[in-house]
Amino acid sequence: MQRREFAAYADPLDILRRFAPAPLKAMYRIGSSRAVVQTNDFHLLPALPLDVNFRVPGEQSQEWKLIRDPDTPGPLEAARFLICGPLTVVEMGPACLLALDHERREVVGFIGADVDARTYQEFLVPLLCRLTQEPVPASPLPASANLRERSAHD
Amino acid sequence: MDDIVTMKLAFNQKTLPFRTDFVLAGTRCFLTTNSEDVLRLAALWQPTKQSDEPSFEMEILVNSSAGDSCEQTAHFRGLRHIVFAALPHSGLIVFDLLRKRVHAALSPSAARDLVFWNTMLLPITIGVLGTTLGVVPLHCACLDRNGKGLLVAGVSGAGKSTLAAALAQRGFAFLSDDWTYLTRKQSALVAHGLFSPIKLLPDTIRFFPRLREFVPRKSLNGEMAYEMDPQKCLQFAVTDMSRPGHIVFLERTVARGCHLVPCRPEYVRDFFERSAERLPDELADARAMRTSIINCFSACPSWMLRTGESPQRTAEAIEIFLSEAERATA
Repeated sequence: MQRREFAAYADPLDILRRFAPAPLKAMYRIGSSRAVVQTNDFHLLPALPLDVNFRVPGEQSQEWKLIRDPDTPGPLEAARFLICGPLTVVEMGPACLLALDHERREVVGFIGADVDARTYQEFLVPLLCRLTQEPVPASPLPASANLRERSAHD
Repeated sequence: MDDIVTMKLAFNQKTLPFRTDFVLAGTRCFLTTNSEDVLRLAALWQPTKQSDEPSFEMEILVNSSAGDSCEQTAHFRGLRHIVFAALPHSGLIVFDLLRKRVHAALSPSAARDLVFWNTMLLPITIGVLGTTLGVVPLHCACLDRNGKGLLVAGVSGAGKSTLAAALAQRGFAFLSDDWTYLTRKQSALVAHGLFSPIKLLPDTIRFFPRLREFVPRKSLNGEMAYEMDPQKCLQFAVTDMSRPGHIVFLERTVARGCHLVPCRPEYVRDFFERSAERLPDELADARAMRTSIINCFSACPSWMLRTGESPQRTAEAIEIFLSEAERATA
């Protein structure tokens, strides 16, 4: 598996990694809205059309902050979607922790060191696009992903 | 990639039909759940009649189809107002610090496990959310003597827990050995504990031979330790609340003897501000509240305690010192 280089980050007063530097920033057009993506890893910039137009007055934009987490190895695990009012949380083990705040139009998350670019671009990015287009997702599964849904009460 | 199995957990009135409330470190938690086990354990923290505590909402969804790996280590991450806590027993807690809400997906075994509640669910909840509610988590032990709290601070490994156990052996009421939660109520400070277990490292067995009756186990940070109920296992008097009266900063020295040197308020303030978690701009109000409470706390009489003695001898010296100080002020 290809290992990538990210800036090492350690702060004993920031065990949650809230202040991990995310110097890369790009704007995308997702459907009818604009998304500003901020990250610490070039490979986490989505392979989506860039938004090169000036901002349309009144247009709402989304903010995505996605941090590559070099201290969290391992593959994606079974996915849990927590749908909690204005929040949708997607967890696939420690290697994928994502939260969407629909009211604040924010996506924040951590992607583990071993989640490769293909998995990210072909699975996680479509998932995020789908989720951010729906205020309260009825079915938070990307059409392109190869998923088996299991009821919480199986 | 291989198939990804997905599970959807909806947190709403239909899926969480039971309601209750409980008090945690001076805050009121409004709890909704789908589990009678959760209701039963929440009842241990019965609310008082007062209703002016800051409050938060907690939703606990117990999911019988979740896996239940107790081998999983705790994993914490956070960005902006969101904090994730992935816990053993396949537990996942998500904190929304702006809305003061906690969403927890737990396995049935975690939901009914009092140890899980006492060592993980409740301390992590108040540790993460507390600052937004006016609760300042301080990395120090706290014991109560005659209604006055003695807070024992120091760097990790200084021996706070060991000294707390030695003080409790001398009759101080045990409140906490690791994290103490400070609130301000009508300008008075209150120190809270969570009835959490005391944690003693295996090498402290030389000071506390009774530990031979117990078995160390892996604690939240991965180290092996004796974690036990201070009341049931060690017969310590315990309390969950005290008024901060004295602060000591513990320093181990090679030289024999036990010396107490007064500290300035600036030292106290800087010690706790410097060791406080960094908070993002989204939580600027919480940051300001924390600074205000720490400033107030720094006015407590405080001493640097340098000791090369055993925990028991050090505890004895502290007790004599506090008795003399009280007599002098009486």
